[in-house]
Amino acid sequence: MDRRAFLATLGAATTAGTLLKGAAAPAEAASGRITLLHTNDTHSHIEPFGPGNGALSGKGGIARRATLVKRLRAEAGASLLLDAGDTFQGTPFFNRYKGRLDYRLMRMVGYDATTLGNHDFDNGVEMLVEAMESMERLQHRNPPFAFLNCNFDFKGAPSLEKRMRPFMVRDFPGIRVGVTAVGVAFAGLVAPKNHEGIGWRDPYESLNPVVKHLRETEKVDLVVVLSHLGYQMLDSDFDDLRLPAHVPGVDAVIGGHSHTFLDTPTRLPQALGETLVFQVGFGGVNLGRMDFAVHRGEVRAATGASMAVEG
Amino acid sequence: MKPQPWTRSLLLIPVLAAFLGAQSPTVKPGRTESIPVTGEIPDDPALAAYIAPYAAEIKASFGQPLVKAPQGLFRGRRGEENLLGYWVADVMRESAQGVLGVPVRFAITNSGGLRANLRPGQLKVEDIYELMPFENELVVVELTGAQVIQVVREGLLRRGGEPCSGVLVKVQGTPAQATLSVTWADGRPIDPAEVVKVATTDYLYGGGDSIPTLKKGRKLITTGLTLRQILLDRCAALAKAGQDLLPPAPGRYQVPPELREALREKKLSL
Repeated sequence: MDRRAFLATLGAATTAGTLLKGAAAPAEAASGRITLLHTNDTHSHIEPFGPGNGALSGKGGIARRATLVKRLRAEAGASLLLDAGDTFQGTPFFNRYKGRLDYRLMRMVGYDATTLGNHDFDNGVEMLVEAMESMERLQHRNPPFAFLNCNFDFKGAPSLEKRMRPFMVRDFPGIRVGVTAVGVAFAGLVAPKNHEGIGWRDPYESLNPVVKHLRETEKVDLVVVLSHLGYQMLDSDFDDLRLPAHVPGVDAVIGGHSHTFLDTPTRLPQALGETLVFQVGFGGVNLGRMDFAVHRGEVRAATGASMAVEG
Repeated sequence: MKPQPWTRSLLLIPVLAAFLGAQSPTVKPGRTESIPVTGEIPDDPALAAYIAPYAAEIKASFGQPLVKAPQGLFRGRRGEENLLGYWVADVMRESAQGVLGVPVRFAITNSGGLRANLRPGQLKVEDIYELMPFENELVVVELTGAQVIQVVREGLLRRGGEPCSGVLVKVQGTPAQATLSVTWADGRPIDPAEVVKVATTDYLYGGGDSIPTLKKGRKLITTGLTLRQILLDRCAALAKAGQDLLPPAPGRYQVPPELREALREKKLSL
């Protein structure tokens, strides 16, 4: 079966599922599907890795990623393009252009949202805000993407606070998606002067009310968390593998920070169902993909895989 | 870009089995489809065109003068100390301290990762790229004093002594009966139980090369800084201060010639 046929089958099955259950509401209002495309820790790797970088040699490159995203979105229908933070630091592009080029290119690729990793503070809050502004000012048909986080207290950094949102909600045919995000503690990772005015709170405790709000007030069908906590962090109390047990009701964790290469999402049971925890290495060498089919707020099917970005 | 066969990367996406299996008689639960989604991926022309002038500007910067190194810095030939390596390790330790804001007592890198000497004269950006072509990242871990000594020992036995910063190393005795003494750089003894911060590379921490004890490091901090970048930054800072780049003093590894020979021939136990 080719991709188009596969997707057509999925669409037909979604409709059939609704009809079989005798739902009164229109089929598209009750059932839907969404493709989440994602990256993490791209670390200013705008160009592909050069030779001498082992298995990464020749992989990555944001212009190629743009092509892959365009192809997948043309086929997938409803989709979101998301990132789990640490866009900054790693190549001369960052040293020279201070993250402005990275964020502008992300907008050109069509990102919907990202979050802040520890390295996104490497030049301090002011430079981070300048990079965000540079992205907002770009003349481009794609709208500026959102910066999400629910466990930092930005009150002491108003220029950043007005650009951050705790969550966002997007509607697609038959599916309403909520996206929120959490970041790693600054201690030992970010110099105090670079996160001046920003406080850090327990990510699990911060997520719980947001997830509850998304589910009960916003009535989303799917909850996605962008996490810069790391996949498995034995020296910390917080990581993606332990998140589902502390924060039920999350369908997908798009992870970062630990540069973990996973081929497919890790599936973890939780009190309200199942959480898919995923992360696709670093440097933009892979693009992650997760697909969810929901019916009346309940995930009926979920799958995912990492795709290599190579020419 | 080199064209690749379309089928090079086949991605197996498990069909949404639970869902389809229940609804469609034609798809069995658990069935897996092979869907080519990658293969040859050309650059998006709009992004490639947007990036090109920025990439060109960075490449042009390769010819820019950095700092004067009147004596050059060399990895050292047979029997000589690796002063280039000492400089790199010093910059690693000082950069890690700068990033973390806490003392970093020891730094170690691998001589095999230093790919070129710095020849005497005016250094350019490209010289640092030749010295350090890899994207190796500066990382910081915690080791005990005993583990720091073991790291030095492993570097000695496997590579004749890897470039380090923060310690003085003496090998004494005879090839048949050699002893190792490692102290902090100011001569104070190393408390085996003390936990200290150590700077190294993601490559060595990940088990690359030959210092297995580094993998025991705890509380990993990835700085996001490449070794190349911290060296470039150091050169720029020296030039800005009107200073030359000079090699660090020798003497970190004090190994008599016969013991050095025995180390090289792997005939020494420490």
